[in-house]
Amino acid sequence: MGVDQQSLLFRLIRELVRLPGIGQKTAQRLAFHLLKAEREEALRLAEAIQAVKEGVTFCRRCRNIAEGELCEFCLDPKRDQTKILVVEEPSTLYAIERSGGYRGLYHVLLGALSPLDGIGPADIHAQDLLDRLKEGETQEVIVATNPTIEGEATAIYLTKVMKPYGVRVSRIAYGIPVGMDIEYADEVTLIKSIEGRRDL
Amino acid sequence: MPLLKSTAITLKSRKWGEADRIVTFYTLRYGKLRGVARGARRIKSRFGSALEPFVYCDLNLFEKHNDPLYRITQVDIRETFPQLREDLALMSAAARMVNLVSAVTAEGDPSPGIFETLAGGLRSLQDNNDPLLTTLLFQIRLLGQTGFRPVTDHCAACGKEFPAPHPPLSPWGERREVRGAQFSPVSGGVVCSPCGSRRPDRCLPLSAGSLAFLQQALHLPASLLTRLRATGQVRAEVEAAIESYVTVVAGKRLPPVDFLAAEGKEPVYGLTRSPQVSL
Repeated sequence: MGVDQQSLLFRLIRELVRLPGIGQKTAQRLAFHLLKAEREEALRLAEAIQAVKEGVTFCRRCRNIAEGELCEFCLDPKRDQTKILVVEEPSTLYAIERSGGYRGLYHVLLGALSPLDGIGPADIHAQDLLDRLKEGETQEVIVATNPTIEGEATAIYLTKVMKPYGVRVSRIAYGIPVGMDIEYADEVTLIKSIEGRRDL
Repeated sequence: MPLLKSTAITLKSRKWGEADRIVTFYTLRYGKLRGVARGARRIKSRFGSALEPFVYCDLNLFEKHNDPLYRITQVDIRETFPQLREDLALMSAAARMVNLVSAVTAEGDPSPGIFETLAGGLRSLQDNNDPLLTTLLFQIRLLGQTGFRPVTDHCAACGKEFPAPHPPLSPWGERREVRGAQFSPVSGGVVCSPCGSRRPDRCLPLSAGSLAFLQQALHLPASLLTRLRATGQVRAEVEAAIESYVTVVAGKRLPPVDFLAAEGKEPVYGLTRSPQVSL
């Protein structure tokens, strides 16, 4: 039995289906869960969505998501102010932060250069990064864009435009993921991991 | 659920869903096709870098009933063209090559000639130190393999034959000269002077040298193509003509070949009436 397409329930399912990773069946299950849940529980979700849309913006300095003018990382004086790690999207920043292995600052480009799609430097927040370098406190920029054509294009471009600022520019290493068998690695990853080997 | 196997070149790869990719290939046996690679963006994906653009690979996929997207099951790399990933100029030139193949081909319509031209074009980019000229020659050759071959031996508007040169100037006997020739992107080739002045769309000037270059680029055997050189006025005219023609054929302006140099600049060529031309 299908849901009436004019009903309020169908409207909710239609909105849930728009979310990434949510198909028709999952949306239907979520909608029925919300229908059965306590009124307060369902409204809390609605209020959280509204609050996030109204209260969350981009950090003026690093373009990470923030609840004020600056994000939590830019406001933290304990972080290493001489290092900036550049990522394409905020989700990458939080993945790196979860690892606990980096204590410097970040810069989020909110995109990547793409010669295939004609996305150029003006379409990403590269100029904001250069403006930060002009302040003179930065000693090293770590480029952590994805190892895709777009990420590589961005890394090459940033390396070129940051050269005049005299800061150390490094790229995150390429290689075999931890726990993987080397025999299953593809050719490009193997070559890059040999090129990027380090002394023991 | 038939299994398909073919050598292929990756044209485009875009993110899809949580960790998947939709990849467009140009295959030797089946022409252009698109497939889904499940979990391709995960660190331990079996596809690795094989789905990146410009990779020459052996492709295995299967067709799902009532689904236009194939399921990619295995990709084995043959050539990766590593230099194309390390230089922005080469990357932009290779991007134009795959974008043009994607624009002028239909799904499921194989052409071994187009496949070989693309593979040869990517190889030439690695070996040649002039990516803009290599890309220009590639575009002329590729258009020459399709129904969009630029007309160079008669007027593309009125059909009048251009007089054959006397004596013949080329061992291939194809070069013909015409006074006041212009290139009409909408007509798909060279037009004679009276037709050029009457056409409502913008025509581009084409000197005798430029016309000769265009004719030779279309007719020379592929093995001799790297000997062709163009500088100064000839290069500027042919580049402008082909860029405008590609815009008409693709129905949209493709990302520029000199990607960063073109940043913020308006193209100096193109159609005056409308940026989008329907064919």
